[in-house]
Amino acid sequence: MSVTHDEVRRIAQLAELDVSEEALPLLAEQMSRILEYVAQINAVPASEGVKPFVPGPDAVRFRADEVKPWPLAFGPAELAPAFRDGFFLVPKLGQFEDAEA
Amino acid sequence: MSDPSEALASAKAAADRIVKVKRLNACLTPIKELRKSLVAQASAAHPSGVLYGMPVAVKDNICTLEFTTSCGSKILEGYRSPYDATAVAKLKAAGALIAGKTNCDEFGMGSSTEHSAYGRSLHPFDKTRVPGGSSGGSAALVAAGAVPAALGSETGGSVRQPASLCGVVGIKPTYGRVSRSGLVAFGSSLDQIGVLGRSVHDAARVLSVISGRDARDATCEDRDSLRLPNVPESLQGFVIGVPKEYFPQDLDPAVRRACDRAIRLLRELGAAVREVSLPHTAYAVATYYIIAPAEASSNLARYDGARYGPRFNGSEDVRSLYRTTRGEGFGPEVRRRVLVGTYVLSSGYYDAYYRKAQQMRALIAQDFRNVFDRGVDLLFTPTTPTPAFKAGEKLNDPVAMYLSDIFTVTANLAGLPAISVPIGRIKGLPIGGQLIGQAFLEDEMLEAAYALERAVPAGEEA
Repeated sequence: MSVTHDEVRRIAQLAELDVSEEALPLLAEQMSRILEYVAQINAVPASEGVKPFVPGPDAVRFRADEVKPWPLAFGPAELAPAFRDGFFLVPKLGQFEDAEA
Repeated sequence: MSDPSEALASAKAAADRIVKVKRLNACLTPIKELRKSLVAQASAAHPSGVLYGMPVAVKDNICTLEFTTSCGSKILEGYRSPYDATAVAKLKAAGALIAGKTNCDEFGMGSSTEHSAYGRSLHPFDKTRVPGGSSGGSAALVAAGAVPAALGSETGGSVRQPASLCGVVGIKPTYGRVSRSGLVAFGSSLDQIGVLGRSVHDAARVLSVISGRDARDATCEDRDSLRLPNVPESLQGFVIGVPKEYFPQDLDPAVRRACDRAIRLLRELGAAVREVSLPHTAYAVATYYIIAPAEASSNLARYDGARYGPRFNGSEDVRSLYRTTRGEGFGPEVRRRVLVGTYVLSSGYYDAYYRKAQQMRALIAQDFRNVFDRGVDLLFTPTTPTPAFKAGEKLNDPVAMYLSDIFTVTANLAGLPAISVPIGRIKGLPIGGQLIGQAFLEDEMLEAAYALERAVPAGEEA
């Protein structure tokens, strides 16, 4: 299992984490070692029928891992005047401070 | 203790003792603030409480109103929680005094307390060695005699491992026995608040107080507080299993000798001891290091510079704010685990890693059920494969560091209670033996621990 520098960059982007170019080689090497170590579980022929174990009260269980839109009671446009790329657009903090001055 | 002047004296004495062991870097709370708070707490404490006047230190990832909660991380530097963790609120209601916040590996991720943004803690008997982790500050303070007990937290052995390395008692309760409300989340299906104490009795008293139902945590079972058992005269009627997988050929011979002596003493106390097998043990560390980072990558998504703690420069837009803050605010081990967690959950790898690890977890839990169903009450194992190791020895080798948890992660994966009790010394360094119990049968586990503690010459070379 060898993790490439590009894979580290892609994962870091998904994790919203800055990783410097200088840190990439060591990080890629250490991630490769960790993933190689944990991949040993694939040597066990666990049947598909094995249900995941989650401790705690029966009422607390994982829901199905499905990607689906989570409906809002109101659309974003009704909650705020501007919404783009999943973010509400608001004035910069400095602009508020200027307005108060 | 029920006299306010005694509680005040206890508070002042605890502050003095914590000052004396300052060199250990075990307590993160500035001493002036700690002293002032302890005196105020002693004046306000309930004299009728069962822990009245008892100083209890608290790991830095458990929320307290009194002191900052930084989780050993730069990303939460100076953060003050607006509420007490339920465990802390229960301690206060019982009259205990919160004796500062203890150093830990960042967000509980580590086995040496070297991964703290506030510097490593020192082993109380040998400053060149680590006290274990992640609750290393709590273990070091208790071992140095500064406090009789401290709260720690466990995700994969972070109470029992430092307890073993420092020569104190460490209890990890059943998952759901103690509320997680106010425990900063790392791996939610594994995390539990635990207790480190100078004796089984001290640790058990604190556990009894913090246990029990809590409407603020849906994963906390609807049960009464743990009732403390009596110290038994013998262990007649107990069946103790010794899992062969925890005694591999290459186990440190001195650890094996200490365990053999403890097993002999358990037999002499009247317990029936038999060898058992937990066949999936070999895969426990690998399973753990998929599930825990996966859960951590999700739980730690909230630290982005917008909601908690400081934000770091380079924030020309919101994404850049997140990335810079997280990149600079998290230390190397947390960054590694967040990346590994994101990797194993990402599209294309989910089935090979996370789904498979969940199946392995089920098989590991089933191993324990099989043994307990065959009449075994408790299991005895070493807590750690070696005594305290040198600082820096495993810092650049994450997998070697992860293997420090080899005998502890299984109880977290299976949600079972476990306790580490000192069972001897190896070249002067303490080593612990572990009893693993059945879910919610901490009372049986504590009975055996009381008996073992009284019988074993913990201060003698193995």
